Amino acid sequence: MAEPILQTFNITKDFGKLRAVNQVNLDVKKGDIHAIIGPNGAGKSTFFNLITGYHKVTEGKVFYKGSEITPLPAYQRCQRGITRSFQITSIYPKLTVYESVLMGLLAHRRKTLTFFPSAKKFFKEEVWKILEDVGLANQANVLGESISHGDKKRLELAITLGTEPEILLLDEPTCGMSPEETESTMIFIRRLVNEKGLTILFTEHDMSVVFGIARRISVLHQGTLIADGTPEQVRNSEEVQRVYLGGVA
Amino acid sequence: MKNRSWLKKNGWLILLIVGFLIAPFVISKFYITILCEAMVMSLFALSFNLLFGYMGQLSFGQAAFYGLGGYAVAMLMTKLQFNFWLSLVAGVGLASLVGLIVGYFCVRLRGIYFAVLTLAFGQLIFVIIFKWHDFTGGDDGIQGVFPPEYLKSIEAYYYLIFFVFALSTLVLWRLVNSPFGQTLKAMRENSERTEFLGIHIARYQLIAFVIAAAFAGLAGAIWVPFYRSVAPSYLTWIKSGEPVMAAILGGPNVFLGPVLGMFIMTFIHAYILGFTHFWPIIMGTIILIIIFVLPGGILGFAKEKLKEKRDIQNQEQVGRRSG
Repeated sequence: MAEPILQTFNITKDFGKLRAVNQVNLDVKKGDIHAIIGPNGAGKSTFFNLITGYHKVTEGKVFYKGSEITPLPAYQRCQRGITRSFQITSIYPKLTVYESVLMGLLAHRRKTLTFFPSAKKFFKEEVWKILEDVGLANQANVLGESISHGDKKRLELAITLGTEPEILLLDEPTCGMSPEETESTMIFIRRLVNEKGLTILFTEHDMSVVFGIARRISVLHQGTLIADGTPEQVRNSEEVQRVYLGGVA
Repeated sequence: MKNRSWLKKNGWLILLIVGFLIAPFVISKFYITILCEAMVMSLFALSFNLLFGYMGQLSFGQAAFYGLGGYAVAMLMTKLQFNFWLSLVAGVGLASLVGLIVGYFCVRLRGIYFAVLTLAFGQLIFVIIFKWHDFTGGDDGIQGVFPPEYLKSIEAYYYLIFFVFALSTLVLWRLVNSPFGQTLKAMRENSERTEFLGIHIARYQLIAFVIAAAFAGLAGAIWVPFYRSVAPSYLTWIKSGEPVMAAILGGPNVFLGPVLGMFIMTFIHAYILGFTHFWPIIMGTIILIIIFVLPGGILGFAKEKLKEKRDIQNQEQVGRRSG
């Protein structure tokens, strides 16, 4: 079995009196496609926010590649190889598609404190490679705000790939996409894992996507982890059936 | 072929530079003085716009750095008989240092809070200079700040200002197009996304803040020996408002927008003062019209129109090819 790239120990998050995430222990294995599912308000996004440093944990620890990252701010976690997308697509409205992807590369390769050479001279090959991979090459010079919703989702994925992550956290990666876009995104995610050895941790509402690509599924319910295992195990878990899946899967 | 397209694209710039170089032979001393003021204030406005147009934060205390640059030069030259050139360097140094301290606090805030805190710091520095009569001359300011003999004529100093203005503009142009400039724009567009690419937002904002303070300080430092004096009014929030208006007038999202804005403001000001003191009413009206009629500023509007025209031409070409 591959070693875990990311581990959480009893992580807990309270917002005032509300416990959004309750003592979650989770291992994400290197090279895995790992889904976090659960009904609305189960704490999926909060759990993501704790791992990426968007929120501080109330209790518990987060380990990445064997060392603790709990006290690190978000940007340092990203520098180490943890990159995320947001549930509400987060892109650069007034930068072109090309410039947006370039930003990820400049940030990751520590070129952002370069003051005089033109930014356009950097990483041309790498940017075009990513644009072609995600299928946005023909819109390279269009502003981020002007492309379709599905393309914005893809653009955000492309931006995150510029940071050359080791683990990519995708918050609802196919939300709002057409069936065709969803299909091609799934194929692309699978390719990232197979070709680049990336680890993917994602949340998703669409159960066909989850059971279509996830190799491991963890189920959150009211902030607590109620199941964790292969798609088969999760599908057959009585508790999951009771609280969440109902008749869906 | 390549040379010709370069010339076509940059011809206006060459014309402009030639125009500036021959201006002292063509126009009156009065207008050379106005040109000097317009260039210095344009540099001030460019420094402001690094924060406003590129980083997306409105600084309402930029005049503090302009004034500090000027005061450093005036005090060093009159009280300590310091060398002119060293005084300029010291003026930039002082503005940068204070920029570092003020910026340390301001970059933690965003939007209106950033604006108000820069305003507060700006007024604080103004009050210190205004009240500390024994040291700064208080409301009397400092007079008799003379440049070296070879720069005493208006024409000679004009060329110095032009050189500093042109060089600073070039440096700032390179800066906003560099990876650092790209990062500022990314932070303006979406600071959360940028932070989650591994960028320490506050650190980059602080660097930009210090650079902006340094160029504002340079503008003040170069102006004072030309004007032969400095006064506390250089640091007031009214002075801080001038680059804000210039940026909005010319267009904050076009690099030279604030420069155009400042040239228009300076020349209209000089012209109107000839027959009325109600200059703010005229300026206010102009700003009002710009905001309602050309919301992106003059150059912003022109750029958009150019782009529309080019898009239509492209479409026609595509149409012709496929037809």
